[in-house]
Amino acid sequence: MAISTFPVTAHARLPWRARVREMLDRERILGPLFTSPAMILIVLLVAYPFCMALYFSLSNAFIGRPSHFVGLRNFINLWDSDAFQQTFQNAFVFTGFAIAFKIVLGISLALLLNQQLWFKRMIRGMVLLPWVIPTALSVLGWQWMFNSSYSVVNWTGIALGIMDPPGPNWLGQKYYAMTAVVAVNVWRGLPFFAITILAGLVSIPKELYEAAEADGAGPWARFWYVTLPLLKGVLAIVVLFSTIFTFSDFNIVYQLTHGGPINSTHLFATLSRQIGLESGRLGEGAAISLYLFPVLMFVVYAQLKYVRKQAY
Amino acid sequence: MSTMSRRRFVATSTAGLAGILAPRIPPAVGQQREISYLCWNNFAPLMDKKLAEIGTRFTKDTGIKLKIDHIAHAQQPAKYAAEVQTQSGHDLVEMRMHFPWLYEPQLVDVSDLVAQLEKQYGAAISSAKETAHVRGVWRAVPQYHGMFVATYREDLFKKASLKIPDTWEDLYVAGKELKKMGHPVGIPISQNYDTISTAGPILWSFGGLEVDKDGKTVRINSPATEQMLEWYKKMFKDAMDPEVLSWTDASNNESIQQGKSGWIHNPVSAYLIAKQKKLPTADLINHHRTPGGPAGRHDTDVPRHIGIWKFSKNVEPAKEFIKYILGKREVYDEYIMSADAFNLPTYDKLKEHPVLKTDPKYAALSGEGVQYHAYGWPAPPSDKVQLITNSFILPNMVAKAVTGTPTKESVAWAEREMKKILAG
Repeated sequence: MAISTFPVTAHARLPWRARVREMLDRERILGPLFTSPAMILIVLLVAYPFCMALYFSLSNAFIGRPSHFVGLRNFINLWDSDAFQQTFQNAFVFTGFAIAFKIVLGISLALLLNQQLWFKRMIRGMVLLPWVIPTALSVLGWQWMFNSSYSVVNWTGIALGIMDPPGPNWLGQKYYAMTAVVAVNVWRGLPFFAITILAGLVSIPKELYEAAEADGAGPWARFWYVTLPLLKGVLAIVVLFSTIFTFSDFNIVYQLTHGGPINSTHLFATLSRQIGLESGRLGEGAAISLYLFPVLMFVVYAQLKYVRKQAY
Repeated sequence: MSTMSRRRFVATSTAGLAGILAPRIPPAVGQQREISYLCWNNFAPLMDKKLAEIGTRFTKDTGIKLKIDHIAHAQQPAKYAAEVQTQSGHDLVEMRMHFPWLYEPQLVDVSDLVAQLEKQYGAAISSAKETAHVRGVWRAVPQYHGMFVATYREDLFKKASLKIPDTWEDLYVAGKELKKMGHPVGIPISQNYDTISTAGPILWSFGGLEVDKDGKTVRINSPATEQMLEWYKKMFKDAMDPEVLSWTDASNNESIQQGKSGWIHNPVSAYLIAKQKKLPTADLINHHRTPGGPAGRHDTDVPRHIGIWKFSKNVEPAKEFIKYILGKREVYDEYIMSADAFNLPTYDKLKEHPVLKTDPKYAALSGEGVQYHAYGWPAPPSDKVQLITNSFILPNMVAKAVTGTPTKESVAWAEREMKKILAG
């Protein structure tokens, strides 16, 4: 008994500074202490709004009025809306095409940037510009380029003889409008893909290429059997992030087409704003924005699992 | 030197603090009353400057400090939703069109103020009453409205000896010639509010409506709607360019200012901006009243009101400000004059406001014989009717029809969508 009480007595005699130092040495205290600021931020800025959105989506919340729990009614009723069905389809078309183009163009650009180029640093910096410029500003530029009367895209196409005057009405016809918003999303998201993949490329040991070359592998074989397998992990992460960002895109569509023509470019975020904020139906608006949450959760789970498998 | 014991110091300071906290009013507020006003970024920027000037004078005259913040009109719904959800923010808010219906339970009853203003200036105009008078109670005070009017190239009409359109059919006749001259009619057919502002009046003047005045029965599927769509189809084919399918709210302004469109339906801003920027087209543009049809001459406008949030702790000072800016005739006149006819008073006796005499091209703005309505008229502007408007069903019905969907199918689609919203 005497032995067991000894440390407590000794501890009590320590000056308070030494006690604090000793406590800080304990991982059990120090760990939570260091992570708590981040946890507080996550709880306040992510968890709380998310829980509120979840609650709204299960209620008939209307701005400034008392709300009641309605279960999954909002999610079920949305299927009756033509605009929502169109939005659901748009989201997959928009994300699918945008991600596919960003993968192909991102790898190509990264391979190009990995070469010994003149002004390499400046070029790498410039590639990041679309990612750095505020979206609202750059989309304004695109809006002018796709302007129905003074489109520089059409002007160039007509001058080169590849378009018949007056050229496509980019933002006024549904397939062209979808092409336009996908193009702007690819333009904006490409630097993220290219620079991240470039980081992956730089980390591939040169010896592997030398060995493959010694075995007689050509450029295509080297890319297929060396580069691509070693980029899989980076690609999975980039695609994961980009899928989430692209599904939840707002600025590009809101500014370029406002969801038109005839709802053909509406995405979940833009429709959610239209219903939830402009019309005051917070419940339905929240349900629209959360509709894909289970799907995205599954995508995140599957891709992270794949990445872990690759890593270990 | 006398000394104070620690115990006495704590007792005295605690008693003092309790005295300050007891009235539950911060001392600074107790000394000077302060209110805040969240206003939109006016499309007539000089009106914002004038508002600031009037605010300064108001503070000098009444001792009530006024803080004015501005916000882009597209951001208003999100900001207002946040203020209502958190029950904090500004005391006074600028409310356009249906906002008083949307935020009804959160707005102070201002019927006393409106009664006083109506006594001074006559009844509030129809669209102002439709949007701010909610279930028998004024939830916001009408202050001004921006109205739609026909804007045309006078030189082109004279050159081709075209008649100023009195009806929408007249516009088709003139529009065909204008298009041949390379200056098509510019009526947007896209997901924006200008499209509704023109499609609504055309529908009404053909005798059609979206929802009945009971607010529950969908009436879009009617021969009048079909006639309206047939009119749009021939206009689109013979008098307009396909670019209208992608137009934003600003496109028709730009088109006539830059010399392309020969006729547009828009507030007077197209002319005002051309005049301010000294564009060559400024001298060529003029206005005429909105065309009518078999069921009369209707138009939409954007009535704008001032509301007071119920959570405000300064309701009385806020009312003081409304009385000051709208109730004092000389201040109200000064405020209206600063907008150069873009925003006009919303009271009957002020319809022929002196601002209309400042430029001969404003003559048509008196809106003689024109009935002004809010979107969705004659249905009361409930949250469901608001959703029908915000879902752009009317513009999309027109867009479907002009891009190849059979008329009946387009109307049936609109009817289905409207019924789903009303049933929801």
